Amino acid sequence: MAEEKTRVDFNAPRSLVERADSVVEILDISRTRLLIDALEDELEELATDEEFRRRLSDAYYDGRIGYDTVEAVLGREEALRMKLLRESIDRTPPEPHLEDGLPSDDAFYDGDIPEWTDAPPSESSDDGSHA
Amino acid sequence: MSEKSVAVVDTNVLLNLALPVVDSRPKAPSGADPLKALLAAYDVHVPESVLGELTDATGSDDLLSAAADLVFQAAHNLTTHDVDNQLDDPLEYSLDRGESECIWLANELGANFFLTDEFNSTNYLFINLALEDRNILFTTPHILCTLATQEILPVEYVSAVLTYYVKTKGWDAQYVAQLRQHHLSE
Repeated sequence: MAEEKTRVDFNAPRSLVERADSVVEILDISRTRLLIDALEDELEELATDEEFRRRLSDAYYDGRIGYDTVEAVLGREEALRMKLLRESIDRTPPEPHLEDGLPSDDAFYDGDIPEWTDAPPSESSDDGSHA
Repeated sequence: MSEKSVAVVDTNVLLNLALPVVDSRPKAPSGADPLKALLAAYDVHVPESVLGELTDATGSDDLLSAAADLVFQAAHNLTTHDVDNQLDDPLEYSLDRGESECIWLANELGANFFLTDEFNSTNYLFINLALEDRNILFTTPHILCTLATQEILPVEYVSAVLTYYVKTKGWDAQYVAQLRQHHLSE
């Protein structure tokens, strides 16, 4: 099914157009075809580009672009996820309730709080003498 | 027994809240305990399968294992439910069994809120769809902001721990930035 077309005029550096025309000749396609392919490739690449997605979601959360734009660029599921998340930001969760402040660690935990660090113990690794 | 709001949470929420408490590397914030804050300020319910998923996370020397150990040490603050026989299969949508049980439990209890960290993926959509009332769905960073505005956790700590999660867990940075702007900047 052929989609409706719209005409676009734009100015481009002469040398770029000349390069494009050389390529068009070699590939035996129209200049229009080359431009459409190039544009589609660029849009597809942007949709997975992290920086672009960051700017897109910033624009969406700030209300500078609408849901339809996000859906057109990122697809329906991702757009819906962002829509639902945005709607949830203004909701107020149930209030927390503490009677006498937070309990002590001793009262709250069975045992000492584990401490994790990714550094190996400093004295054991150098001399290979650990048992 | 108390006026505390009833919350249903999934395994990842508990593990994620325990992470900064057990993580003693310099990049982890210190001075507060978000796991304790959540479990003390709300009446938290989980399906029994959460304990199984926690057990699966223990037994190695990594950070996640230490976090699971901490959640076990606080397990007497959780109310667990046997929901084994309640779920029809096939499970709804593409949620795993643990998540499906949590959602079933939230619907069954008429919980005041359901907490998830699955907001980075399309699972967030499915949880919305599966909950009878999707207005009860909140994310861990959202609740952390509430614990800060209600002065149960220091604002500085919550701000630091949100940065920690964005960096270490890849949480959606734009969403977290919006939460900060709405709830933490007075």
